[in-house]
Amino acid sequence: MSRKTRILLVDNDVDFIDLNKAVLENNGFEVAVAYAGREVMDKVKFEQPDIIVLDLMMEKHDTGFAVARALKADPVYKNIPILMLTAVGSETGMDFSQELDGYWMKTDDYANKPLSPEELIKRINALLERNKKA
Amino acid sequence: MGEQIRILVVDDEKGIREGCRRILAGEGYAVDVAENGKAGLELVKSQHYDLIVVDLMMPVMGGIDMMGHVREIDPEIIMIVITGFATIETAVEAIKHGAYDYIPKPFTPDNLIAVINRGIETRRLRLQTKRLMEERDQKLLEIANEKSKMHAIINSMADGVLVINRESQLVLWNPAAIRMLNLNEQLELGRQISEIVQNEDLIRVIKKACSPEASNYTSITEEIELPPPESKTIMVNVSVIRDDESGQDLGLVATLRDITRLKELDKLKSQFVAMVTHELRAPVSAIEGYLTAFLTGAAGSDPQMYRQMMERARQRARSLLELINDLLQFSKLEARSAVRKKEPLDISGIIKNTVELLKGQAESKDLTFEMDIPDSLPLVEADRTEMEQLFTNLISNAIKYNVKNGKVMVSAKPNKHFLNIKVADTGIGIEADCLPCIFDEFYRVSCPETRYTTGTGLGLSIVKKIVESHFGRIDVESTPKKGTTFTVKLPIKQKK
Repeated sequence: MSRKTRILLVDNDVDFIDLNKAVLENNGFEVAVAYAGREVMDKVKFEQPDIIVLDLMMEKHDTGFAVARALKADPVYKNIPILMLTAVGSETGMDFSQELDGYWMKTDDYANKPLSPEELIKRINALLERNKKA
Repeated sequence: MGEQIRILVVDDEKGIREGCRRILAGEGYAVDVAENGKAGLELVKSQHYDLIVVDLMMPVMGGIDMMGHVREIDPEIIMIVITGFATIETAVEAIKHGAYDYIPKPFTPDNLIAVINRGIETRRLRLQTKRLMEERDQKLLEIANEKSKMHAIINSMADGVLVINRESQLVLWNPAAIRMLNLNEQLELGRQISEIVQNEDLIRVIKKACSPEASNYTSITEEIELPPPESKTIMVNVSVIRDDESGQDLGLVATLRDITRLKELDKLKSQFVAMVTHELRAPVSAIEGYLTAFLTGAAGSDPQMYRQMMERARQRARSLLELINDLLQFSKLEARSAVRKKEPLDISGIIKNTVELLKGQAESKDLTFEMDIPDSLPLVEADRTEMEQLFTNLISNAIKYNVKNGKVMVSAKPNKHFLNIKVADTGIGIEADCLPCIFDEFYRVSCPETRYTTGTGLGLSIVKKIVESHFGRIDVESTPKKGTTFTVKLPIKQKK
């Protein structure tokens, strides 16, 4: 029996983590969490997640980008797909997109917050599916 | 010549003196007489005459000598010579010495009157010419003064000024413009503006103001960026100079204002608004998320879990209300500096009241208070509401970030110039690398212990603003897992 899909949820908003952890677990995922960019590397090593859901603005406004760059530069972890989440678009009007900015953002998918739990699950499954084929 | 015209008659023959006096007085002139040149000169020195009739041949001082002295006193006096030897030579000699005309003896009253009247008319014209010349000189001086005044004004302006004529030549500039655009200080008058100014944007704005479409508006205002090394933002206003009377275009005047600092402030303000938006969104989207999960059952079927979610949603709603209060407080502090109401205050009373109000919060964590505040403290010139806010924020932080059964210590101690108030706790402390940021707006230390503690991230920024607006200072010392001590120093009101 294959093990459950393990997600690493990274966000500095404790409520976002608590809520989505509950919803994702209820939908059959295993969920590990990190509350800051600097915790991510240790968590990745320890938890070996299948996918990372990463918030952009944490300690700094671009912490998510820094974390993604570090992961994609690591030969061991570069294949873990990253779904970047951010509220930056709705707050500043500055809109990134996976098609145009994915190459430098070092992300595999990108979504604006707020994001409903169903939408989040849909995006996670799609990304996992795409990654399996590749 | 509104006054009566004064004539002096100098002749050694009494008959001629008196005869002339009678004839001229009859014409309405005021007449004085003297018997020789010396006596006549004394009169000229002591009062004013318009015209002198003088005999050439007199004892003591003759006519030629006297005329020389008179001209030194007043070159505008008309002198008419009476001569018994009416030869061309004597007449020429007299005129050489400054005489206006001559009358040969013997003469009729009509002869005399005709010559005198002509002389008086000449005198009138001479004086008028002199007055007009003086007026003209005065006007030229005024114009020169006006010009140098205008230059002084333009040169002392903080805004840069460039004036360009219809041929696009630079005709006037001031030091501020030279500084802003970093131009060569030795500017030559009348060079093409495009040769002098390198900035293409500025040239473009000037050209736009010259274009035919520009006649529709009176001036053009644009912001231009000066690249490094200047790195400034300049607001340029270009107006057409129109002649008041003819309405003809005379050229352009460009004023340049350095708005770099304003732009920076504007940017800070936008950043603040962006941060506020972010902070307001976070609790609302958390609450929305919990409610959605509750309504859709997305988190499974455990009722205990939903209860916890609702509890968190309520906490976030409360913290949102707190945030809104803090934001109001914060913007009030920004705007209030001018209307802050300072009065001599007894800080000990304010601290004791604040502690009393926060006792309830402290009890839920089984905290104890240790107070070391003397009953009589020197007075501090301060705003009461802001002092209450200051100590509420500090003491409630000492409670919020404390551990169970911990302590909150508040002490106050005056020294010569400052009242030192310490608020210390035995709480979780702050890591050294986070300390420099704790007074920043919306900064919150993130650590596992405070993950579920709600806060706005504005409390300490408000504290710092209040302390600084009272000319005080605030220091912080902290040891992780041991506790944090804030020291507020407020200047003591000096007795006069």
